[in-house]
Amino acid sequence: MDLVKRMFMGQLARLAAGAAFVPLASVAHAKINEQPPRRGGDPEKRWAMLIDLRRCIGCQACTVSCHLENDAPLGKFRTIVSQYEVEDEATGDLSTFFLPRLCNHCDNPPCVPVCPVQATYQQHDGIVVVDSDRCVGCGYCVQACPYDARFINEHTQTADKCTFCTHRLEAGLSPACVESCVGGARIIGDILDPDSTISKMMDEHYSDLKVLQPEKGTHPHVFYLGMDDRFIDRPEALASVWDVRGEDFSEMGYEFSGH
Amino acid sequence: MDKSRRNLLKGGAAAAGAAAFVAGYSEPLSRMYRGLSGTSGEKPKHPIYGNALEPEYTVDMGTGDITPNPNQRVAFTVCYGCTTKCGVRVRIDNRSETVLRALGNPYNPLSSDEHVDEATSVKDALLTTTLYQDQGWSKRSTTCARGNAMIAQISSPHRVTQCLKRSGKRGEGKWTAINFEQLIEEIVEGGDLFGEGHVDGLAAINDYETPLDPENPEYGPKTNQLLVMEATDYGRSALLRRFSDKAFGTRNYGHHGSYCGLAFRMGAGAMLNDLARNAHVKPDFEEATFALFVGSAPSQAGNPFKRQGRLISKARVDGDLEYLVVDPALNASVARSTTKRSRWVPIRPGSDSALGMALIRLLFERDGIAHDYLAYPNAAAAQAAGEATNTNATHLVITSEGHPRQGAFLRQSDLGQTEAGAEDDGVLVADANGNIVPAAEVTKATLFWKGDVATAEGEQIEVQTALNLLRASAMEHELETLSEACGIPISTFRRIAAKLAEHGRTAVVDCHGGMMSGAGFDAAFALQILNVLLGNVNHAGGSAHGGGSFNGTGAGPRYDLANFEGQREPTGVFLSRSRFPYEKTSEFKRLKEAGQNPYPARAPWRKLAPPTLTEHLPSALEGYPYPIKALIGVMCNPIYGQTGLRGLIEEKLRDPSVLPLYVAVDGFINETSTFADYIVPDSVMYEVWGFTGSWSGTLTKMTTACWPIVEPRQVKTADGEPVSMDSFFIALGKKLGLPGFGADAITDAQGNKHSLDRAEDFYLRAAANLAFTGDVLADATEEDIAFAGLERLLPELEATLPPDERGPVARLYSRGGRYQTFDAARQGDRLGNTWTRELCVWNESVATTVDSMSGKRLHGTARFMVPKMADGSAMRDHYPEEEWPYLAFSYKSNVMNSYAIGLERLRMIKPYNPMLVNRRDAERLGIKHGGEVVLQSPGGEVRGVAVVTDGVMEGCIGIEHSYGHKELGAREHVVDGEAVAGNRWIAAGVNINDLGFADPTREVAGTWLEGVSGAAVRQGLPVRLLKV
Repeated sequence: MDLVKRMFMGQLARLAAGAAFVPLASVAHAKINEQPPRRGGDPEKRWAMLIDLRRCIGCQACTVSCHLENDAPLGKFRTIVSQYEVEDEATGDLSTFFLPRLCNHCDNPPCVPVCPVQATYQQHDGIVVVDSDRCVGCGYCVQACPYDARFINEHTQTADKCTFCTHRLEAGLSPACVESCVGGARIIGDILDPDSTISKMMDEHYSDLKVLQPEKGTHPHVFYLGMDDRFIDRPEALASVWDVRGEDFSEMGYEFSGH
Repeated sequence: MDKSRRNLLKGGAAAAGAAAFVAGYSEPLSRMYRGLSGTSGEKPKHPIYGNALEPEYTVDMGTGDITPNPNQRVAFTVCYGCTTKCGVRVRIDNRSETVLRALGNPYNPLSSDEHVDEATSVKDALLTTTLYQDQGWSKRSTTCARGNAMIAQISSPHRVTQCLKRSGKRGEGKWTAINFEQLIEEIVEGGDLFGEGHVDGLAAINDYETPLDPENPEYGPKTNQLLVMEATDYGRSALLRRFSDKAFGTRNYGHHGSYCGLAFRMGAGAMLNDLARNAHVKPDFEEATFALFVGSAPSQAGNPFKRQGRLISKARVDGDLEYLVVDPALNASVARSTTKRSRWVPIRPGSDSALGMALIRLLFERDGIAHDYLAYPNAAAAQAAGEATNTNATHLVITSEGHPRQGAFLRQSDLGQTEAGAEDDGVLVADANGNIVPAAEVTKATLFWKGDVATAEGEQIEVQTALNLLRASAMEHELETLSEACGIPISTFRRIAAKLAEHGRTAVVDCHGGMMSGAGFDAAFALQILNVLLGNVNHAGGSAHGGGSFNGTGAGPRYDLANFEGQREPTGVFLSRSRFPYEKTSEFKRLKEAGQNPYPARAPWRKLAPPTLTEHLPSALEGYPYPIKALIGVMCNPIYGQTGLRGLIEEKLRDPSVLPLYVAVDGFINETSTFADYIVPDSVMYEVWGFTGSWSGTLTKMTTACWPIVEPRQVKTADGEPVSMDSFFIALGKKLGLPGFGADAITDAQGNKHSLDRAEDFYLRAAANLAFTGDVLADATEEDIAFAGLERLLPELEATLPPDERGPVARLYSRGGRYQTFDAARQGDRLGNTWTRELCVWNESVATTVDSMSGKRLHGTARFMVPKMADGSAMRDHYPEEEWPYLAFSYKSNVMNSYAIGLERLRMIKPYNPMLVNRRDAERLGIKHGGEVVLQSPGGEVRGVAVVTDGVMEGCIGIEHSYGHKELGAREHVVDGEAVAGNRWIAAGVNINDLGFADPTREVAGTWLEGVSGAAVRQGLPVRLLKV
């Protein structure tokens, strides 16, 4: 259990101080890697997600419904909502900030070129997927993702991540996280279709949309509305207290870390 | 700005998910390169989709046609994930009969935004939730994290699936499985059941004729020696109470309300003039422009949880709503992403009446009250002016000290104009000229008036208007005093009052569980009276009582399920001594006759309170007013839920000589039922029958229909019925030979008799009543039946109902209930479903009630009140700040609930509950973030982890509810010698209720309860905080 804590804290230590404020409009399309050709998926579509943080109530319905829909191992998440207590720098008011996190299905995904066996690839419709028949579970892609969106599934021993529920999109159904979103914060859609809800919302709020860590040049396709600028990059945050203590205050750790 | 607070971005528990994301990377290194391609792990079902579920259907994006997946079905029923009881659509695998996932029922207002009209076919309703024409987002119908995770209850290793009889001492965790028929035989006939001596069975207690205590005949018959308690009405209470109240005839039924939100409910009931049922109101979120939430946090918690969360997120983005959340702790309702719309105001627990009175005072001072509205003295005048309600603000109250009718409204009979109690014995008001006139005869009356009037006997008595009394009450304390009491600056009082006055009728005040303090009734009454002063009740954007529910279990259009031949009427004094004035007891008379002061009573007699489980159980074990012989509990867990109860009664509960027989009906063994003699395995959610209702704030009328969409997994009776709460009470009724069960127990509208032998006999007939209420539902189509997964139900309909009822009943279940259409929510600037009683500025019932402990009358309107003990003394007189410098309070979890701890998918998000400690307090005591602390109270102590934060009021310790379990899987139980291992992770965290204590001012022991209501006090427990 110590490992979880140490890695989390270690990661915090290398957080960049200060938050980048880079609205979508200014994101460069610079490529950080040579991307292999896209394959599969509908080339007429580009799936993307818009998360309207103003509507997110932090209820974790998305977290659990995704977990069930995609059979994720306990304690591993394809999506989760991080909760922060934040202070308004101008007024000193305290409030709660929720940050739903998932694979950003980047247009320039750093996880793809690092795959030694081309198991992870991007579809024509923009969705980044992992072919578990090919994946050797080396973990390079897990390391390459700046959003911590991937993990190794201990059951399949392959890289695992959000697929935008592509199996549901293909059936004309919403991803599990979207269809269960109580506040209506998550909107999925085809941004090549100008009439889609997501396209209209992106038009309406274009200058207010933010992405995570834009300076990495990954061109994420999960767009946030109502983002606290301090969270665009990794926030400098005091970690929550996560480890369970036993009756005699002995450390029990995290129940699902042993997987 | 305080520099030390800079950069304090604190990850809440869920932020730890980040750790889990990272942790995932820790393992693959050792497993690299198992082969040239692929790994040695389990091969998932699909190379890209992994082990994702198959879609439940496929939508043709061109035509909108839906092709179901033959391997799955979707069915509508209810969720038991919390007490909101949302209507859900459940995906079931047809091959394995396992539940895959749950989502919202698009017809159900608790799960959907604009719920789909009942007239829409099931297929079209389901289509609205898909990506077809991009409807899925706007028409989504959801379940929350709990609702998703709850499916694991069905297959939980800790589930009780057999009938259990204890084989060790009470609470020892040793059980023997017995068959259902033996269980019924033993419970009814009694005998030497445990080798501990004779135990009376229910047959021996089933004596409705003999008084249980001849010295105190008002206590009622011997049947009152059975106490029946259940968690809440999960849709089956009608059958339970058919047994307990109407067939067996016990007076003693209780549910969790008194340790949930009763102090709030009675404060709201006092305002709404409904202390019989304690109705309450919730904001009309969609139209409100300013809301003040006090001890109530929509989207963090509260009922209806999802609906409120959905509406508040919509209102702060699409609507005009601005709101303040007044609470000892920062919570999820205060959203960073809409900072300008939502703000947090910290308050000290238990001090909410100070805020309420400060705001009332300021509204009077700044003339912010709805004058014109308040001046209508009767319903007709209000209606003529376009108002939906009127208030008693102008009604005159007798205020002469010592007058026998002090606190009552001045009536025409007082002036000799008619007989007391006569039809024309109306209340009186002062008109513009100061003439005393009947309220019914004028269209306007004076708001502030005080003077003397001459009675029929020529006596001069002082009277004043209700509003005058409220104003006097508000002016009694300076703002400084009130500010000091609650910790809210006067400037903030002023800001809030200005907002209320500015927004007027679309400003609304809401409160709930935060009112469970030692002054909770007064706090809730004060906060709710603000809604009266603003004139917002029944107004769009104001306070809504809601649409209520359809009733299928009454004397309905098809079957009379409320009445049967030989029915008993429960009589006598409740164990909780509620709704019965102490002054009418034999005990009181004996004391009077002996020349003794009858006050204080040995324990509170609460004339206004409903029967409360908080008193029922401890009082029964104390034998005051009388002991009981048997207890039946259904899914009920007061030992976990009631503050301080464990310390008070655990030893007595273990002692069969104090409580001879305890039968629990539940799918799980909880902290209370662990002491049971027998456990009857129950169906869990998705396996149950029933009809669940609505919540205030649900603006349209609705009832959710529940049916076993999957086969219950517990054992069956010899007749092949699943053992459950239903089959248990039916079998008890039949074995005891009680009317209302078995042959000819149900009469239909034509007078024909039908038997009640199975759950279906009751619930399907209730469904027929619902389907035939008002406009009879059309027949379900074959397509509806297919898309709503009703095939399993059809044979039951055919076996139970006549042909003409089957189609409409199938239609009801195909929509998962009965619903008013969405457009009925509002009519112009008024709500469609309105509260019709006169609203109270002065509640006459409250004002004329004598407190059984002090012998003094209660106050008829809002007032500032500090937390008090049973005898009326201040809590701080007994537990001074010097010794107990902190106040502990609880708050509801946005993820966990009180019985959900067994669910791994919730524990993996929020494994336990660290305690919230204010940063300044932590610095003073040297407590570190993540450090160990001990909280000590007069009744116990808990040991846990501190989260050091600015997000909690200084001097206060916040404890998230639902953790710190000792049962529900936390410990081992042995059945027939085989151990079912306990899971120590289930025991993680602390339970605030372990900090509760006995009220030292009562003779007959009880926990600390709010005086008027008997509600458990869990907000503002005096504690010490120690660093370890």
